[in-house]
Amino acid sequence: MKTVFSYIKPYKWPALIALTLMLIELFVELVQPLIMAKIIDEGILASNGDAIWLWGAVMFGLALVALISGITNSYFSSHAAQSFGYDLRNELFSKIQSFTMATYLKFPTSSLITRLTSDITQVQNVFFMSLRIMLRAPLAVIGSMIMAFAVNAKMALFLVIGAPILLLFLAFMVKRGVAYFSHVQNRLDRVNRVLQEGLQAVRLVKAYMRGQYESSRFEKVADALKFDTMKALRTMELIMPVLLLVMNFSLLAVLWFGAREVSAGSAQVGDLVAVVNYAMRMTGAFSMFAFIIVAFARAKASAERMEEILLIEDGLEVRSGQAIDFAEEQLGTVRFNNVSFAYNDTPVLRNVSFDVKQGEKLAIMGATGAGKSSLLSLIPRFYEATSGTVFVNGRNVLDWDLDALRAMIGFVPQQSLLFTGSISENVGWGKVDAGLGEIEAAAAKAQIHEAVESFPNAYNTRVGQKGVNLSGGQKQRLSIARALIRKSQILILDDSTSALDVKTEAALWDALEEERATMLVVTQKIRTARGADRILLLDAGQVVGFGSHSELVQTNELYKKIAQSQQEQGEHS
Amino acid sequence: MKFLEKPFGYERVLTKEDLQKKVVKKKGPRASDWKSTLGRIWKIVDEQRALLVMVLLMVVVSSALALIGPFLIGKMIDHYIVPGNFKAMLPMIVALIAIYIVLSVSLYLQNYWMIGVAQQTIYRMRTGVFHKLLRLPVSFFDKRQHGELMSRATNDIETVSATLNSAFIQVFSSVLTLTGTFIVMMYLSPLLTLLTMTIIPIMFIAMQWITRRTGKLFKEQQAAVGALNGMIEETISGQRVIKAFSQEERVKEEFREKSALLRKTGFWALAYSGYIPKVMNALNNASFAIVAGIGGILALNEYVTIGTIVIFTEYARQFTRPLNDLANQFNTVLSAIAGAERVFAIMDEPAEVETGRLPADHQLHGAVAFSDVSFKYEQAEEEYTLRHVSFKVEPGQTAALVGATGAGKTTIMQLIARFYDVDEGAVLFDDVDVRDLTRETLRSQMAFVLQDPFLFEASVYENIRYGKLDASDADIVEAAKKANAHDFITKLPNGYETVLTADGSEISQGQKQLLSIARALVADPVILLLDEATSSIDTVTELKIQEALEVLMQGRTSFVIAHRLNTIRSADVVFVMQKGELVEAGPQSDLIAKGGIYASMLKAQEDLA
Repeated sequence: MKTVFSYIKPYKWPALIALTLMLIELFVELVQPLIMAKIIDEGILASNGDAIWLWGAVMFGLALVALISGITNSYFSSHAAQSFGYDLRNELFSKIQSFTMATYLKFPTSSLITRLTSDITQVQNVFFMSLRIMLRAPLAVIGSMIMAFAVNAKMALFLVIGAPILLLFLAFMVKRGVAYFSHVQNRLDRVNRVLQEGLQAVRLVKAYMRGQYESSRFEKVADALKFDTMKALRTMELIMPVLLLVMNFSLLAVLWFGAREVSAGSAQVGDLVAVVNYAMRMTGAFSMFAFIIVAFARAKASAERMEEILLIEDGLEVRSGQAIDFAEEQLGTVRFNNVSFAYNDTPVLRNVSFDVKQGEKLAIMGATGAGKSSLLSLIPRFYEATSGTVFVNGRNVLDWDLDALRAMIGFVPQQSLLFTGSISENVGWGKVDAGLGEIEAAAAKAQIHEAVESFPNAYNTRVGQKGVNLSGGQKQRLSIARALIRKSQILILDDSTSALDVKTEAALWDALEEERATMLVVTQKIRTARGADRILLLDAGQVVGFGSHSELVQTNELYKKIAQSQQEQGEHS
Repeated sequence: MKFLEKPFGYERVLTKEDLQKKVVKKKGPRASDWKSTLGRIWKIVDEQRALLVMVLLMVVVSSALALIGPFLIGKMIDHYIVPGNFKAMLPMIVALIAIYIVLSVSLYLQNYWMIGVAQQTIYRMRTGVFHKLLRLPVSFFDKRQHGELMSRATNDIETVSATLNSAFIQVFSSVLTLTGTFIVMMYLSPLLTLLTMTIIPIMFIAMQWITRRTGKLFKEQQAAVGALNGMIEETISGQRVIKAFSQEERVKEEFREKSALLRKTGFWALAYSGYIPKVMNALNNASFAIVAGIGGILALNEYVTIGTIVIFTEYARQFTRPLNDLANQFNTVLSAIAGAERVFAIMDEPAEVETGRLPADHQLHGAVAFSDVSFKYEQAEEEYTLRHVSFKVEPGQTAALVGATGAGKTTIMQLIARFYDVDEGAVLFDDVDVRDLTRETLRSQMAFVLQDPFLFEASVYENIRYGKLDASDADIVEAAKKANAHDFITKLPNGYETVLTADGSEISQGQKQLLSIARALVADPVILLLDEATSSIDTVTELKIQEALEVLMQGRTSFVIAHRLNTIRSADVVFVMQKGELVEAGPQSDLIAKGGIYASMLKAQEDLA
């Protein structure tokens, strides 16, 4: 919890002020019975009307002071709690942004979402409460205890007989509570997960009429969440009755032994009554006490989940690297030197070596699952090679400054991920300061300008999450435009033209030629491969062919087979 | 003064108009909104009436025992300890032991049961939202962020959960104590009681002032949480793009903005709701002062005795404490209402209307026709996405849809699957309007391979079985073999038992497509829709599954979209779409002979090849 609590530090002053204000309030509350006594003693008993007015006014004034400090406290504690939550949230989000792709695989999106919202709310609420009410309960208990001891230590001793057992019990319960509540939050992750899947797959669910099936899947996780929440809350609910029981029994013990003392003449009845009174006050504070313990356990569970993220040190992207000047002829070159790569111990690429010259167009082909996308993802360092080295501009990608490296590269992923927002925002995404002219130019090169213009709101058309309201080909072209606007020296297209019709695609390739960028293109089409300078053939993670179309079509069996497969199909039609 | 205008730099969220509007609307729909939201929660809670009654019973027991305990102790001191009658104490102590045990047990039980009632209610609400989401038309999801919708089933419902666990018991026991104390106070001194009551109108005014603000602020806070959730979900799902374009800083900045909005509304909501206990305390103190001061004056004139005043101040304290509790609960109830309203808003969305008149087991033969269909995705749009499209496909035929991107091909598929309803004209199955068929009829006899293949976080078996829930493992392996997926599946760490992750990268896009084809193969449908089903699959593999697909398409009506025109060589009819209109239709040979658009498309592809 230490890390999470360190985020309170910047707000220690508002927090301390809030605490002070709370103490003032508490003070007023404690003083009141004394003033009441004054009214009775000096006023009523002495038949002094003025004294009554005077003390009555003092009492009223104090109530006003308490009100003002209470309300001011509201602002200070709210500020401290909200800012604490805000900082924590931003820090968590920043941390998550610096994850490597491999680290993302360890934390499902749904779990990250819960940590950023629900978990923070838990911790923030407890902090807020502790600034306002929490101290009161312990103070009330301690205060009453001191008073009881002051009155008659011997009798008061019976009140604390149960304390060691209670402390052990509470420590045990907190431990259980933390474990249970962290379980609850994990269940919430699952609920989030199934929800997210249900939403992402809404068309599929409908197409296969699997509403029932999805519902029962959701019911299962919601039921597990219910079960664990109930278990956690019900276990924690034991605290209050047990505390009460122990306290009440101590009270009876005080009565029993106190009565003996009284009958033996070693104590006054008044003392006994006073101690009993204080004991009752303590029991009154206990329900609050139990509440605090539950809240604390819950917050601790959430804090631990956040720390799991905050304390991650491996698996973060190392951004910094020295910027160096490259020789003109090195710009835009890519070289793989004996590169192997594995996802979670599953080998994907094996000893891959090739190079791409400045301005060259390399087509990458191979069977489904041959490792084409994995190969591309090593260039902008989404993942790091397990062995071997990837060079960009002749420099090992591991030595690059990450931002500088990625600025070199225009990346078009296989799935065209668009974000909620307007079309111009999506195209301009790759370049924050892009003007409308640039956006239109990039869109025109990506062969989407005309289509966008035909929309009623043109570039201001809103795109839904992942671009749901656009056709597959439109999404792909927007995704290409987004990469083109950066005018990068290296352009990577991961099978990003699959939904385009032949004419549009041909026009697109022509436009891309003019970019004079080095291109790495994954494609299924011999037609596209023929337009490339060289072709890299992958099979089961290994390079099985590397050369121009005319070379490969002569010498390479697999390439011949691919060419044939498209030839054959062509002949049929 | 400046500080009061903008404490800690937080801009005010509520404007004067906001608050005034509230006042005007107070008696109108808003009051009923509240009531209806509470009423709806209550309806779910009330389903467990038996447990609820038990809870109330336990509250009565524990409240009574909590009063009897001190009473007996008082008696014991007066009657036994003071006179020194030590022996007679024993039965009293035993009685008290029993009372305290029952008290603790009843406290535990009331909470135990209440947690059950509350969590069951939450469960019902949560699954209710999910059921509802699944029944909403596809168009509902077109412009909504997943994360925002998710927030409703998690964060918003959590506010209800937090309230339900405690509020019910608190409110009930407060009311009980309040009534009890009031009766005793009236008995002691009606005059002083009246004096104590003077704070109640002030309390009402104060509460109204506060809740008018918090009610609105809680709503805004939940909306801000939703927006934040939406952004988190989208950015984390789209992480690869953010990294590719080095936009981390900008995303963080955007996050900070949304996060700051939440902080701002949260600040005001917390600050104002923090008023309540303070105001109640002050009123409490004030009533104390009133009783003591005015009571003192009265005592001087011997209207009341001193003893009465002393006892009375104690009771006045007891009277205001449950009031204080009630006021606090009122606030959490308000935050629950803010959350619940967002949940019910989803539940109130119009679901897909079942217009089917024919029985669910109605057998389709596979004829599909469009009769003068026009359609647009949004009513506000001027341009139709499809204009006057008519065609007919006979049972067992394979129809290919071709045309430039955005010509309306996928739209036709979506209308066949009835994801959307047409604006004009009709989609006919065996000459029956699709609107007369139940969705069950339609979709249980149809399989759809979507443009974006989606896999669930589940085993390969389960992912393929999605097409037909009662398919045996052998059926699945069979389908996977046909779809050419068997080889790579067996190479996965646990073969068919390997659990796939939706956002994981352990299998490629092309492999995902193979799995979704296997899914369709298992479904064994009458009508098959393939929307770019093989776009990410290499041509050698495609050639292998082509055969399987052709077998699959035999005897079924199939619609195929593919940009590689040779993929559709076996189509019986070709529909050429252009800008939302059907411009050419007929068998391939006819179209080639005609020398129209299709012929030129084919030629273009050959030229380029």
